[in-house]
Amino acid sequence: MLEPLEEKRYVLNLGPQHPATHGVLRVELEMEGEFIVKADPDIGYGHRAHEHMAENRNYLQFLPNMGRVDYLHALAYNQGYCMAVEKLIGLQVPERAEYIRVITSELNRISSHLLWFGAFLMDLGAFTPFLYCFDDRENILDLLDRVTGSRLTYCYYRFGGVPQDIDQEFIDGCRAFVKRLRGRWKDYDNLVTKNIIFIERTKGIGVITKEQCMLYGLTGPMVRGSGIPYDIRKKEPYSAYPQFDFEIPVGENGDTMDRYLVRLREMEQSLRIIEQALDKLPNGPIMAEKVPKRIKPAAGEVYAAVEAARGEFGCYIVSQGDVKPYRIKLRVPSYANLSILPEIAVDTLVADLVAILGSIDVVVPEIDR
Amino acid sequence: MLSDDIRKALGPLNLEKVESGDYSKTGYHLEVAAKPAQMPEVAQAMLAQGCFLESLTALHFREHFTLVYHFAHYDELCRTVVHAMLPIGQKAPTISHIYPGANWYEREVYDLFGVRFTGHPDLRRILLPFDADFHPLLKEFEEIVEESESKANA
Repeated sequence: MLEPLEEKRYVLNLGPQHPATHGVLRVELEMEGEFIVKADPDIGYGHRAHEHMAENRNYLQFLPNMGRVDYLHALAYNQGYCMAVEKLIGLQVPERAEYIRVITSELNRISSHLLWFGAFLMDLGAFTPFLYCFDDRENILDLLDRVTGSRLTYCYYRFGGVPQDIDQEFIDGCRAFVKRLRGRWKDYDNLVTKNIIFIERTKGIGVITKEQCMLYGLTGPMVRGSGIPYDIRKKEPYSAYPQFDFEIPVGENGDTMDRYLVRLREMEQSLRIIEQALDKLPNGPIMAEKVPKRIKPAAGEVYAAVEAARGEFGCYIVSQGDVKPYRIKLRVPSYANLSILPEIAVDTLVADLVAILGSIDVVVPEIDR
Repeated sequence: MLSDDIRKALGPLNLEKVESGDYSKTGYHLEVAAKPAQMPEVAQAMLAQGCFLESLTALHFREHFTLVYHFAHYDELCRTVVHAMLPIGQKAPTISHIYPGANWYEREVYDLFGVRFTGHPDLRRILLPFDADFHPLLKEFEEIVEESESKANA
């Protein structure tokens, strides 16, 4: 008679070069059979010392770095940093510039969510949705290319406004895109949301409670999936957001499925914001008058927060009255969002961990900074 | 008002400073100064008020470090900043047993500044390689002094 095999623990290395980790993230997994006993994320492979760079250059020179922290929603980081500096030197941004910021930032948010949508489903083994959403995303990249001059790593906002106005072709393109993407939701739902394999892989997987959200300081779709309607655009209104009518989609169970649904619905809300902003777009200057050429804020500190695609991006600047910042701390959402992984990964399968990691929507260079 | 509740909760802790901040200028509703040793109590009080830890970082000055804790709330807009001055060479108590999210933040502060947290369950480097032998965000005060002196002499 065969003796049952002794249960043994072993270590499984997920990453750093793994298609499901979206960048170089390593997770050291302690396994017992097929189940995870302990997960220890190892981050920092892509550490580029952004915060150190900030201390070695002046305020304007640091601006292009902001497109490279979270390259998928770069414009939110542009905005967060610009807002912090504008607060520090007391600069008022003209209304038209705020509207342009909202429109471009929301477009960027949709492109980020679309990429997440494709990549997440590819992790779960579905290749086709990737082709659909990249087809849609391409439209946004073309639109943003037109106004910002780049397709990735945007650096479009300046202290006091935006450097280049949007034109009629961009506005028409936006409207056409809004119409196009609205027509796609049904396809997405049919292709993915109602897919039984997808439902089985995501329902009840990686449940995060409201209490856990608070303990780990989660933000963005991670908390909204757990039913907390926390969105900086509503809770701490900035830019032109108070003038638009939009909702914050929330989930109920806090599982992978809910986080998926929240992001999917969020894209529709972003479309609503873009539509309203295009309708109400005011005329006027796009740059504040009297933007100082040499930015030398008085000693003090400032914290400005924006809602990026992955959660709250906070920019904390300490000035000592010099042309260079004394310290800039970038509070990036994925850092806190990933830190809960060791807790929710326990007792799941490796395949589930891939689903959970996908639903956290980590951008590893953002965590590593 | 949440900021009043937080004030009330922090009152018995005998902190150095609990003042309302100028939100339009700094983004803070409440500015607090505490000793590092008081941080576990402060964190406990903030957690009881339903606040979450937004960020934790440090600043390096010539004589001391300043630990900076940001707290925010999911329902009500109220950002509290807590500054804790830590003399160089001393350790600060961890708050990771109260806010597990502080675990990674404290590792980051240790990694970048070399500040140690007592009671932390796993104080390893996090962003830099484990075998790095420096803390990158420490300011180099001596060099700055020498530079300006040599300039004055020249």
